[in-house]
Amino acid sequence: MIPNGPGSSATTELELRWRSSRHARRLLTLGLAGLFFAVVARRPEFAGLAAPALLLLAAGRARRRPPRITVRAEPTTRRAFEGERLAVDVALDMTGAGDADGEYSVRWRLHPGVEIAPVGPTAADGRQARFVVSPERWGRRQIGTLEVTLRDRWRLAEGHASMTLPRIDCYPAPAPQRTTVVLRRLPNRLGEHPARTSGEGIEFSGVREYVPGDRQRSINWAASTRRGRLQVNTFAAERSQDVVLLVDSTSDVGEPGSSALDLALRGAGAAARAYLEARDRVGVITYQWSGATWLAPALGRRQVYRIIDSMLASDAGYARGASFSRLPRAALPPGALVVVFSPLLDQRFVEALRDMRERGFSLLVVDVLNTEPPARRRPEDRMARRIWRMEQEAIRFSLRELGVPVVHWNGEESLDLPLAAHTRRPMAARR
Amino acid sequence: MSGPATRPVGWLRAVAGTVSMRAVASAVAMRAAAVLLGAGSLVWAALPAVHRGWSGFALVLAIAGVAAGGLRLALAAVPVPEDSYWPSPGLRVWRAFLEVVRQVPWEEGAVIGIVWLEVLHPSRPWHTAVLGAGLIAYLLITHLAESDAPLATLRPQARVLGLGAALLALGAGAGMLPAAGAGAGSALLRLVAAGALIVAAGLVLPYVARRLPRWGAGDSGGIYNRRQGTTQRRAGPDG
Repeated sequence: MIPNGPGSSATTELELRWRSSRHARRLLTLGLAGLFFAVVARRPEFAGLAAPALLLLAAGRARRRPPRITVRAEPTTRRAFEGERLAVDVALDMTGAGDADGEYSVRWRLHPGVEIAPVGPTAADGRQARFVVSPERWGRRQIGTLEVTLRDRWRLAEGHASMTLPRIDCYPAPAPQRTTVVLRRLPNRLGEHPARTSGEGIEFSGVREYVPGDRQRSINWAASTRRGRLQVNTFAAERSQDVVLLVDSTSDVGEPGSSALDLALRGAGAAARAYLEARDRVGVITYQWSGATWLAPALGRRQVYRIIDSMLASDAGYARGASFSRLPRAALPPGALVVVFSPLLDQRFVEALRDMRERGFSLLVVDVLNTEPPARRRPEDRMARRIWRMEQEAIRFSLRELGVPVVHWNGEESLDLPLAAHTRRPMAARR
Repeated sequence: MSGPATRPVGWLRAVAGTVSMRAVASAVAMRAAAVLLGAGSLVWAALPAVHRGWSGFALVLAIAGVAAGGLRLALAAVPVPEDSYWPSPGLRVWRAFLEVVRQVPWEEGAVIGIVWLEVLHPSRPWHTAVLGAGLIAYLLITHLAESDAPLATLRPQARVLGLGAALLALGAGAGMLPAAGAGAGSALLRLVAAGALIVAAGLVLPYVARRLPRWGAGDSGGIYNRRQGTTQRRAGPDG
């Protein structure tokens, strides 16, 4: 469950704009037309034809109407993932408006905001109502606008008011990822990944000769019988690692909903969840317009939301030469595994990756480029497309030559598939 | 949904699935009833066909009003396409069409056209009274259809509608009264007399009707309360 922000209800006092309803205007037309033709044609039956309409209008003659109302709108949550459903409860309070006997009927109509899809009806009657919506794309989204219409008992007057519903934070839906990439050399910190050194873990590592001080329960009696001397089992130490997610938000190309930035955010969210569940310390660096924003690696479930908040707070756009060499040690700890999500379209970002590799960091690049230049018939266009492809292949080849694995992810399949070659065995942390 | 579960969504799904077939059928029936009442009133007023006093124009006005009013009700749930920077011609035409259908007062035009057609026929008071009832029903059902309100919404107006029907019958009765003599003065006198009678009845009848008992309203004169009182007496300590 996403932790909810405090004070999620919004109570607003709205001023009503009263006017005669369409129904009243139609009745007036019928009444006046009947009277007019009765006089012109001198036929009293047309006065009778006008009578019911005029009687209805006279019965519902203007009386004191409430000038304002109080509306409370409360979303069930202020944070949701893409495609998740959330409800908005709305309630009308007319105690101060002098409507004790419920003379007015209330009609609600929801106009959903951008990238907000209604689930179920968008109109409801009654003093209280509930609307269910689903945000379709990540970002800080306006739920929409709520229109309230009050009608009197005779349906001759209508009071209109509208209010803007609160904003919600929509998080990118993390892709499925169960496996993790583990470095061969792990820092000396307790965790869940079996290290090469022996320690107090649970994974069997080998057998050695007993030395005073060894625990009696670790004696391997079968091996001791065979060799004639006491032998003890040894176990692999369990360590954790530092993981830094590096998200390139400089290029957002492709179809909205499956663009490079969409895939980068979903992939980073999935990686954050997977590594934090493995008790690793995870941080994030977002490469963006104004440089790079970062969040130091930390443990815990809440770190997922901190990471996503940090990514969403960054601006997408062309980076004006952000340099990772100026990042503090806390943001990029030595020996950390750096998982990069990028379409590799910004040359300076690629240079920054090479620089990081030369400084000894273990990098793994997830290529999220999901589109190509449009295919056209002209030979020049086809040539340009070919050159562009070759450039992209050259960039990826140069990174692989430096020892940086590059895997492509299309956003539809699980992240475990492209990472399978690197999750089966510990990744070499070369310097 | 691939994100972590944030909330049990079963109850939300239950809420979301409240657009029942019954509600849809009710809305469709209400719209169909409105169109049928409008078309019925139009046919009732137009037949037998007359060819004088701009009857062709009145007929076209009435047909266009009823048809476009029905179209407006049918398209009431269709959302207006979102505004974009450079909309396509088709989108612009569709937006303009929706705006015209929704903004023009079609029903008012239909009412004027239908009453005009009725005027063009020779005097037939009972016929006009039936038309008046049909037109009131048309306007009421149109309002219910456009506001998606149930028929029970009209329950508070039932008494006034009854009084209106009485006035309608009174007007028809006044129209059937034989004229005192031939000429325009006699017809005008008859009209003034009928108008005065209708106004007098309209002023008096509400006060008479207010004294009539309400059915099932839960006030002191209702059957429900009398039965309840009997039950209480039986269950009382005195037996």
